[in-house]
Order: sequence, then structure tokens, then C-alpha cells
Amino acid sequence: MNTAKRDWKALLTRHEMLLLYVLIAEWLFFYFAGTTTNRRGVVVGFGTMDRQFDILRHSCEIGLLALALTPVIITAGIDLSVGSLLGLCAILFGQLWHDGGLPIPVAAGLTLALGALAGGLNATLITALRLPPLIVTLGTYSLFRGLAEAITRGSITYTGFPETFLFVGQERWLGLPTQAWIFFVVALAVWLLVHRTTFGRTFRTIGLAPEGARYAGLPVERRLALVYVLAGLIAAIAAIIYTARLGQAKADAGTGYELFAITAVVLGGTSIFGGTGSVHGTLLGVAAIAVLKNGLACLPVVMGMNAAEEMSGLLTGALLLLALTASVLPKILANFRSRPHAPAP
Amino acid sequence: MKKLLHVCAAGAVFLASLVTASAADAKLVVAMLPKSKGNAYFISCKAGADKAAKELGVQLLFDGPTDSNAAKQNEIVENWITLGVDVIAVAAENKEGISTALRKAQKQGIKVLTYDADAMTDARSFFVNQATPEGIGQGLMDEAARLTGGEGEFAMIVASLTAANQREWQKHVEARLKEKYPKMKLVAVRPCDDLKDKAQSEATAMLSANPKLKLIMAICSPGVPGAAEAVKQAGQTGKVKVMGLGLPNENRRYVKEGVTDSIILWNTGDLGYLTIYAGVALAKDELKQGAKTLKAGSLGTFSIVGDNILLGKPFIFNKANIDQFDF
Repeated sequence: MNTAKRDWKALLTRHEMLLLYVLIAEWLFFYFAGTTTNRRGVVVGFGTMDRQFDILRHSCEIGLLALALTPVIITAGIDLSVGSLLGLCAILFGQLWHDGGLPIPVAAGLTLALGALAGGLNATLITALRLPPLIVTLGTYSLFRGLAEAITRGSITYTGFPETFLFVGQERWLGLPTQAWIFFVVALAVWLLVHRTTFGRTFRTIGLAPEGARYAGLPVERRLALVYVLAGLIAAIAAIIYTARLGQAKADAGTGYELFAITAVVLGGTSIFGGTGSVHGTLLGVAAIAVLKNGLACLPVVMGMNAAEEMSGLLTGALLLLALTASVLPKILANFRSRPHAPAP
Repeated sequence: MKKLLHVCAAGAVFLASLVTASAADAKLVVAMLPKSKGNAYFISCKAGADKAAKELGVQLLFDGPTDSNAAKQNEIVENWITLGVDVIAVAAENKEGISTALRKAQKQGIKVLTYDADAMTDARSFFVNQATPEGIGQGLMDEAARLTGGEGEFAMIVASLTAANQREWQKHVEARLKEKYPKMKLVAVRPCDDLKDKAQSEATAMLSANPKLKLIMAICSPGVPGAAEAVKQAGQTGKVKVMGLGLPNENRRYVKEGVTDSIILWNTGDLGYLTIYAGVALAKDELKQGAKTLKAGSLGTFSIVGDNILLGKPFIFNKANIDQFDF
């Protein structure tokens, strides 16, 4: 047991270190290939501070969703509804402020509560009815987006937010984009929860063996409920940041974000089957994808082809598959070496 | 571990030097943002833009979301800001959302203009306006009158009874009707929810309810082929004319079969072409606030009203010319 545990740990560390190298290599590559001097003699492209801040700013919402999904996936669950919930929360926030006439902080507070409530709906269906998370959240994925579209009839867009609110999404505070601070606080909170509390340790136990955890007397349902409620709450935070960044709340906010977030989590080394994973891995995964996406758009070759969007999708996919292969390869090789005649698992 | 890191770094730098070797020279860079990149409408805009960029010797960046996504539009604009392009031309998916990014671009000294769909007026210098509602309404009504000889009953299919642009166009069609064609009568206006099937069933109902109907005018793009299919199936081809706003490709078959007589739209290639000329003129300080005209290469001179550069009269696609267009 003890050696097995150590092996897992070694594998994990190795995966995250690998990802860190990839991130550094990516960054250096784009720094040298994506930075130029333009006609007016100004240094432009990837190697500017503005660009670095943009990367940070663009990755906050998907980063938050990835943070929300890390504990969920560690418990061997999944939450496909976070992107849709982001859209719904953005709409609700806009409505509370614009139509409800509430001050921004109150509207934001209520939105967070509603996000947690929506997460609670997932939690109830998953824990009380014992329905598979994939099916439940596939349902709420459509339900939340559908609600957002129904409320706005697909056409209302809330805009005209006050400057003080837009500050959160568009300006800098203490040298960094304002929303980055929120992101860091949430990241720290989730990291502490997953890695430094007994609570967090039970997530992994539940992910590895839910029945075992139940027999060991762990309140499996309560813990599971917590991760889904937390996911809803974080999706609501992401919704408010999204609204502040764009200055608008529309029903299509966050479409497809859940898939980027899941990609980041898995790239970060969290097993999709649950049981293992780390918050810092997720953060590296988010960064690797964000740097890739933003860096590509700075490459003259890619700009010449006018294909930054397509290239980033293609390479994100390739990166994920490579990382997954790299993470299982040592295990397969080790197995192969120790038992040359046995089939690989 | 350290060794691996060094290898990674060296590899990255090496690759980077390969890529930079092919970097573009110092041309004026114009970045053009469509609502969505795969849309045939914008692809045809790009064809015109490419032509203009070639004539003017500027580099054209053409990138946009693969789906109509306001957030992605903002990210692309922010990317172009840090790339330090000279001109950004945008077809706004969402007016207010994109404007925050465009204002940021303006602050950095980048010239901003919009085409196809405008942003907030303070976030750009000029809007290349492909068609005023008045121009569209009049063009539609004049063509309808030409097809029917200026008399008889006609009906309209609209996308919805509430959409702002549809209401606006309908208003101008009706105004033109009242003003110039007293012998024509609008007998029905029905919504098709931007669906071809719905347009077809609405048109079928119109045909049976109004036996004297001479023409169906559809002012949303799925409406025209929908109405054409209904007329064709009712065996009324030629007797009841079909026309409206739409894209040539969606209607090509019916135009060739003689079911649909005219498709009205602006020439999207010209829209892209004019946008690039306007952008470059802005960057070279040849186009300033208050200008009354703009010369755009082989297309000649365009008039400017306020801060709108007008593409001019709508274009009529019919049997004779439809094969010259592919979008």
C-alpha cells in the first residue's frame, strides 16, 4: 500500500513537472517567435507586458471553471453544466441589476447564491437519486442554457454597467488585471480545500472507491453534494467576471467553456476516473492552454494563414493527447519490463 | 531534469528563429474581423477585401470566431491591439460588448472602423454602411412594382414581427408603397421565425387564402427559398412571382428554374473592398472626420453621410447575373 502510494505520487509529480517544462518551452517559443517591432518601431506581440496581462485576463473564467471542476473530477464525477450556468448567472446578474434595480454588490451576492443553488440542484439529483453525474449535468447543461435563453428570449443583452463594476474586468489593480486577484483567491481556497483538509482527502477516497468510503463511514453524499454546490458557486463568480470583462450579459455567455475547463483539468494530471489530481496541476493546465492559444495568434506564419482560431483548437487537442500518452507511458513501460509476456493494462 | 529543461528551451528558441525568418516585412497591417469566419457572407466579403489589400499593398489579417461569439470577438481584437496592427475593421456581433475593446484600440492609436454591423459610435471613426433601411425598403418595393407592372396584390414574409431591422425594412417598404404605387395592395404580412419550413407553410397558406396574389416578397433570407418552394409545389410558377432579401447560393436553383425572379442584397465583395480602402485611407490620414466622399480604387467614389460611408444602392441578383456570385 505504502509503495503503491509513493509510486502514484512519483507519477503525479512527474506529470506536473512535465507540464511545467511544456509551459516554459511554449512560453519561450512564443517569446522569440511571436515578438516583433512594428512599422512605428514599437515592440509588439507576445513579448509585451500587455500580452501577458491579456493572457491572464482571458484565462480567468475558464480557469475558475477548471478550479470548480477539479474536486468534482477527483471524486470521479463530472459537471458539464458549468458553462451553461455561467451563462445563466450572467443573465440573472444582469436582470437583478438592470430590471430589479439592485445595487451591483447586492446583485452579485444574490447571483452567487443562485449559482450555489443551481449547483445544489445537480448535487441533489446526483446524491439523493444516485443518478450518474454525466447524465444529470448533461440535463442541467441544456436546462441552464435554455433558461438563460428563455429569460432573455435570446435577444436581450444587459449592458451599460457602471465604470466601477467594469473595473473588475477591464482595469488593473495593484499591477495585475483586477479579476486575476479574485482568481488567485479562489485558486488558493480550492487548493487548501483539496490538499490541506481532511475534507479534501475524502474527495480522493470517494473517487477511488465510493463503496469503500461508504463502508469506512465517510459521509459520501454530503461530500459529493459539497463539490457540486462549490462548482455552482464558482461558476457564478466566473459569470460576474465575464460580465465585467465584456461589459455585457447575454445568454450565450460561456458557451463551450466547460469543455475547455475539462481539458485543462485533465491536462493538469487529474484522472478522469477520479481518485487522483491536483489543483496546481489544473492551474498549469489552464496556463498551458492559454499561452498556446494566445501565443499562436502572435505568430506571423499563423497570422499569414489567418487561422489562429483553428490552429489553437488543433494544437490544444494535440497537447492534451500527448500529455495523456506521456502520463501513462511510464506505467505501461514499467509493466512491460517487469512482465514481458503479460499484456499491457 | 535541468538538462531536459535546457533541451526544451534550446528547441523552442531554435524553432522560433525558423519561424521569425519568414516574418512579414513592414507593410501596413489591416485586421478585419467578421461576425463568424465560416459564414459564406463574410467569406465573400473577404474576397473583396483581399483584392483591395493586394491593390494597396497592405497586409490583411482576417480572423474571427468560428461561430458568432461576442466574447471571442473581444479576445481577437485585444490580440490585435498587442500585435500593434494599424487598422481594425469590425463587423460587431454585439454592439456594446465589442466597443470596450475597440475604445482600447483607439487609445493605442489604432484606427478603428466598422462594417456590416456597427458598434457604438464613439468606439470607431467610420461605419461602412452596406445599405440603409430606406435604401433596402425602396429597392425591394421598386423591384416588386417592376415585376408586377405596378398593380395587384402582394404579401410579405418577415422573420419575426418584432425584430428591429425587420420592422425598419417593412416600414420603408410600406412607405414606398403608399407614396409611389397606389394600385398595389399589401394583403398579408406573416412571420416565418427565420425558418425555411415555416416560410413554406406560411406561403402555401397565403396562396390559398389570396387567389389574386401576384407576388410574395420575403425580407428574411430563409423566407425566399421557402416561398419559392411553396409556389413551385402549388404549380403557380410564373403566375405568382417570388422575390426578396437573400443570398444567391440559397436561391440559385429557384432563380434558374424561374420560380424566383430577383434576389436583393448588397454586393458583399464590394463591401469588403470598400472597407479596406476606407481603413487604409484612415491610417494614411487621407480620410478625416467631415469628409464627404471617398475614392475606392476600381469601384469609384462613394458618398459619406456623417460618419457613415455608404456602399450605395442594393444590388439585384437575377437569372442573368447570379452565376457571377458564389456566396
